[in-house]
Amino acid sequence: MKELIQTLVETNSPSGYENAVRQLIRQKIEPWVNEIKVDALGNLLGIRKNPNAPKIMLVAHMDEIGIMATHVDSKGFIRFIPLGGVYPHHCVGGRVRFLNGVAGVIGVEKLSNPQELPSLEKMFIDVGAVDAKSCPIKIGDVAAFERPFLDLGKRWVSKAMDDRIGVAVLIETLQSLHQSAFEIYAVFSVQEEVGVRGATTAAFGIAPDLGLAIDVTATGDTPKGNKMEVELGKGPAIKIRDAGMLADPRIIKWMIQTAEKASLPYQREILEFGGTDGRAVQLSRSGVPTGVLSIPCRYVHAPSEMVDRDDVLNAVRLLTELLNNPPNLEFSA
Amino acid sequence: MKTTEIKSILQQLTSVPALSGYESRLHETLNALWQPYLDQTSISRVGSYHALRYGKAAEPRPRLMLTGHMDTIGLMVNRIQDGFLRLTAIGGIDARLLPGQMVTVHGKREIPAMIVQPPPFLLPKEFQTNPVPLQHLWADCGLSADQARQQIQIGDLVTFDQAFLELNNDIVASPGLDNRASLAALTVCIQELTKHQPLWDSWFVASVQEEETQVGALSSAFQIQPHLAIVIDVTFANSPGSPPHKTYPLGKGITLGWGAAVHPYLYNSFKDLADQLEIPYKLEPMPRRSGTDADSLQTVAQGIPTMVIGIPLRYMHSAVEMVSLKDIQRVARLMVEFIDRLDVDYLEKIKWDETN
Repeated sequence: MKELIQTLVETNSPSGYENAVRQLIRQKIEPWVNEIKVDALGNLLGIRKNPNAPKIMLVAHMDEIGIMATHVDSKGFIRFIPLGGVYPHHCVGGRVRFLNGVAGVIGVEKLSNPQELPSLEKMFIDVGAVDAKSCPIKIGDVAAFERPFLDLGKRWVSKAMDDRIGVAVLIETLQSLHQSAFEIYAVFSVQEEVGVRGATTAAFGIAPDLGLAIDVTATGDTPKGNKMEVELGKGPAIKIRDAGMLADPRIIKWMIQTAEKASLPYQREILEFGGTDGRAVQLSRSGVPTGVLSIPCRYVHAPSEMVDRDDVLNAVRLLTELLNNPPNLEFSA
Repeated sequence: MKTTEIKSILQQLTSVPALSGYESRLHETLNALWQPYLDQTSISRVGSYHALRYGKAAEPRPRLMLTGHMDTIGLMVNRIQDGFLRLTAIGGIDARLLPGQMVTVHGKREIPAMIVQPPPFLLPKEFQTNPVPLQHLWADCGLSADQARQQIQIGDLVTFDQAFLELNNDIVASPGLDNRASLAALTVCIQELTKHQPLWDSWFVASVQEEETQVGALSSAFQIQPHLAIVIDVTFANSPGSPPHKTYPLGKGITLGWGAAVHPYLYNSFKDLADQLEIPYKLEPMPRRSGTDADSLQTVAQGIPTMVIGIPLRYMHSAVEMVSLKDIQRVARLMVEFIDRLDVDYLEKIKWDETN
C-alpha cells in the first residue's frame, strides 16, 4: 500500500486541475470495478454493480491544495493566489511545482516588522527567470506544493495526504473486497478544497441511499496543538461532527458497532473547524444518511501532513467490514 | 383554541429535548399531536417529520408546505479531562449565559451536571474581566475521572435542565421555545383545520437541523416539491433598551417577513388577510438572509415562492426563552384562514409584475 500512497501523493493535482491524478486512479481501479465514468465536473466514478442492493456512495477527494499564478512582473517574479486553504506560515521558504513541470521557490518582500506573519500578497514565486519574457509561467498556471513522500516507519508524511490517503484507502478497499452488501459508487471527487463542489454533483447524479466520505481529520496530540481528543495511531476516527455537518447518528452507530464487532480500533471524532465531502452528500436531493470515516492526520494543509500506518491499514479493514454489514436506518427514539 | 390548551401542547413539545441532528426523540410526540388529525405521516430520509392533509380540489392538486424546525440548540461533550467535561456548541450558543447553568448529560444514563466558569486566576488574562468563551468553561457532574470515562463518551449530548415556567399574561418561558413555539402553532393549525375543507394539499413539516445546515428544509422541499412554502420561526422580541427597528413587542402580535426570502405577492396576501381578520402584525424587514429555513428552501429545485412568519421571542438561544401564547394563537389562526382561502388558481395570480 505504501507504493500506492507514494505514487498518489507525488502526482500533482490541485483543485480544478485533477487530470493527472484522475488518470492514475482510473488505472488503479479499472480491474476492481464493473464500470467507470467521469461526470461533467470531472469526478471519477467506479461502480461495483449489485443491482438489488442499496446504493452507497463512498467519496474521497482527489484534489489537493495549491496555488494559481495571477501576475508576472517585468523581472519574472510571479504573484499568486491560493487554491483551497493555504496558510501563509507554511509557504515561506517553500517550493512549488507548476503543472508544466517548472519548479519555483516562494520568496517574501522585506517586512517592515519581521515579527509579523506576512500575507500571501507579500509573497511571490521565483522560477529562476531573468525577465518576464523568459518566464515559463503564465497567468492562470497552477502549481502544487513540492515535497517528496517521506517514510518515517510507523508514520508517513506528504504534502497531499489530504486526501490522497482517503483515495488510497478507497482503492485498497476496492481491491481487497470480494463481495458487498451494497451497490458501490466509489467517487474520487474534484474541488473539495474549494467548496465540496465535485461531491455535490456526484451525489445528485448517483442519488445514493447512504453516503460515506473518507477524508483526513486533525489531531490534538501535538505540543500545545488543537484541543481535541483524536490522536495519531489510536485507530481511524468516526466523525460525530465537524464545522460542516453533524454526521447521521444512525451511520455513527453503524460504524461504531461494526468496528467493535470486528475488534478494530476507532476514535470518536469532534472537529470544531473544517468540513468534508460528507456535507455535500448529506444535503443532496431528499437528504442522504451520511457519515465520515476519518484518517487522523497531523499538520493538515501544511506541506508535511503526517498519518499513522496502522490507522491507514485499519481504515481499510473497517471500510471493508462496513461494506459487508449494512446498517439499520430506522430512527430510534 | 384557548391559550390554556396551547400551553399544554407547548409543554408537551418542550418536554423532549431534541438537539440538531438528534431530533428523532420528538417523532413520538408529533405522532401523538399530529397523526390523529391528518391523512398520512412519514419520516424523511434525514429525520424530518412529514404530515399530509389532502385537499378537496381535483387532482393534480397544488401543494402547500408549512414548516417549522424541530431541532433545538444545546451542547455536546467534546473532551473529557480528569472527569470534567469540555463542551462544543450545537447551534448558536451564547456562552455568556452558560456559567451556573444546570444541564443534563445524556451519557449511558441521564447525568445531572452544571456548567462552571473557572475562577479568574485560572483564566487567560483577557478573560478575567470579560465574558469567558465556551472553550474555557466546563461541565462538572461530580464524577471521578474513571467514572466519567465509563459513563460519558465524546459526542454525548448536553441539554439545558430548566423547567417550563408559566408567567403572567399568557407568557411562558422554557428552553427550546426556538422553535417549539412554531411547532405549537403548526399543531394548533393542524387541529383547527379539521373544521375546514381546504382545496390544496397541506404538507406540515417539522424540519431537522435548522440551527446547523438546514438539511431538513432543503431535503423536505426537494422531496415534496411544494408550489408554495410558509416558514414559521421565532424572531426577536423587545426588551428595555432593545432597538425598536430590530425587535417586536412580545404578546402584541406576529411578524410578517419582508425581503429577499419572501415572495412579495405572498406577503401581500398575508398582510391583507391579517388586516381583514384584525390580527396584529408588524412587518419584519429581512433584506438579506432571513435567518430561517426559508433561506435554503426558497432556492430548492426550480425555486419556491416562500413566506416567513415570526413569533416574537425574548432571550433567543438561552435556556430561558420566552414567548406569548397569544402570538402562537395568532400565527395558527392566520395559517388556518390562509389555507382555507387558497383557491386552486392562486398560483396563476402570483405575478411578479403586479407586486412592488
